[in-house]
Amino acid sequence: MSLVLNIFTIIAVLAGTFFFLAGTVGLLRFPDTLTRLHALTKADNLGLGLVVMGLLPQAEWPFDVIKLIAIWLFTLLAGATVGQLMAQAARRGQPTP
Amino acid sequence: MRWVKRMTIPDFLLAAAVFVLVMVALGLVRILRGPTDADRMMATQLFGTGGIAALLLLGVAMEVKAVLDVALTLALLAAFASVAFVQGASRSDGDDPKETNSQ
Amino acid sequence: MRNISARAAMTRWTGFFGFWLLLIGLDPVDLAAGLFAAAAATWTSLHLLPPSGGRLRYAALAQLALRFGQESIMGGMDVARRALSVRLPLRPGFVVYPVRLHPGPTCNAFTTLTSMMPGTLPAGVDDHGALLYHCLDVEQPVAAQLAIDEGLLIRALGETHDDT
Repeated sequence: MSLVLNIFTIIAVLAGTFFFLAGTVGLLRFPDTLTRLHALTKADNLGLGLVVMGLLPQAEWPFDVIKLIAIWLFTLLAGATVGQLMAQAARRGQPTP
Repeated sequence: MRWVKRMTIPDFLLAAAVFVLVMVALGLVRILRGPTDADRMMATQLFGTGGIAALLLLGVAMEVKAVLDVALTLALLAAFASVAFVQGASRSDGDDPKETNSQ
Repeated sequence: MRNISARAAMTRWTGFFGFWLLLIGLDPVDLAAGLFAAAAATWTSLHLLPPSGGRLRYAALAQLALRFGQESIMGGMDVARRALSVRLPLRPGFVVYPVRLHPGPTCNAFTTLTSMMPGTLPAGVDDHGALLYHCLDVEQPVAAQLAIDEGLLIRALGETHDDT
């Protein structure tokens, strides 16, 4: 059982780190502020979600598990709010339809 | 490949934490280059996800419970810093701040 | 109306107190501070976000959560594919979405939700009150996806789009 859980942890954390890699590559390669914001908010949020999922079997039930999920939900909410606010700020310098 | 067999879960999590930290550090290159203020403020977002992921990996790998609280505080502060930046930016533009508030 | 506020206050207080317990643990010495902190948080939240009176529909909410999970995975993979591709396949631009929701908390919830969906990033409102979305690829069916999200959100929050 613990072997299955450990394999789950390894797969989920590896997948998470892949999305952090993709997010950073996008941040460096994408041509303008708004596209870079896409890379940062979408890829990194998924990366964090997968890392948290992978850590759940290793954390202590119930407090640490719930706390991990709370941290993830909070970061997700904060990221989504901040992402659109920053997009509004960045749009002021760009042509819009 | 004998080292693979001897690698434990904490070792793996530590390695993952280092990898995520390297990604955050590379992302900082963009922050340095800019060119706009919004590009620079993405640093808080970068630490808000990458930094927290690295902290959580470290905390679970080394079984230091307090690190989870640090991560939670960091998440809070990163959100406040970004909102403050947007408010400040729209005020200095002489823009109507109502648009920012109603969104 | 009083009844709705009282029930909302009770629900929120329970939520905040639960969160406090989660952070601090079940130490009886700290409980008094927790009771007070939860009350303060409830008071603040009722001021900043008054209860709307709409009833949550849990089936639609679960559907929304499921769709959200699927879409954020798709969104992450989409960004990853574009970022790692040699040709950097981007057709960035703005899409105007004439939102049915009126400005307010529900509309904010909608923009927050869609800011995590693949390829869309809400970037404010235009002069006619329509939402502006920045997209990585303007050839994707962005508006159709947004309409599905909006419909689900309206059902989940138990609001009709005319009454706010």
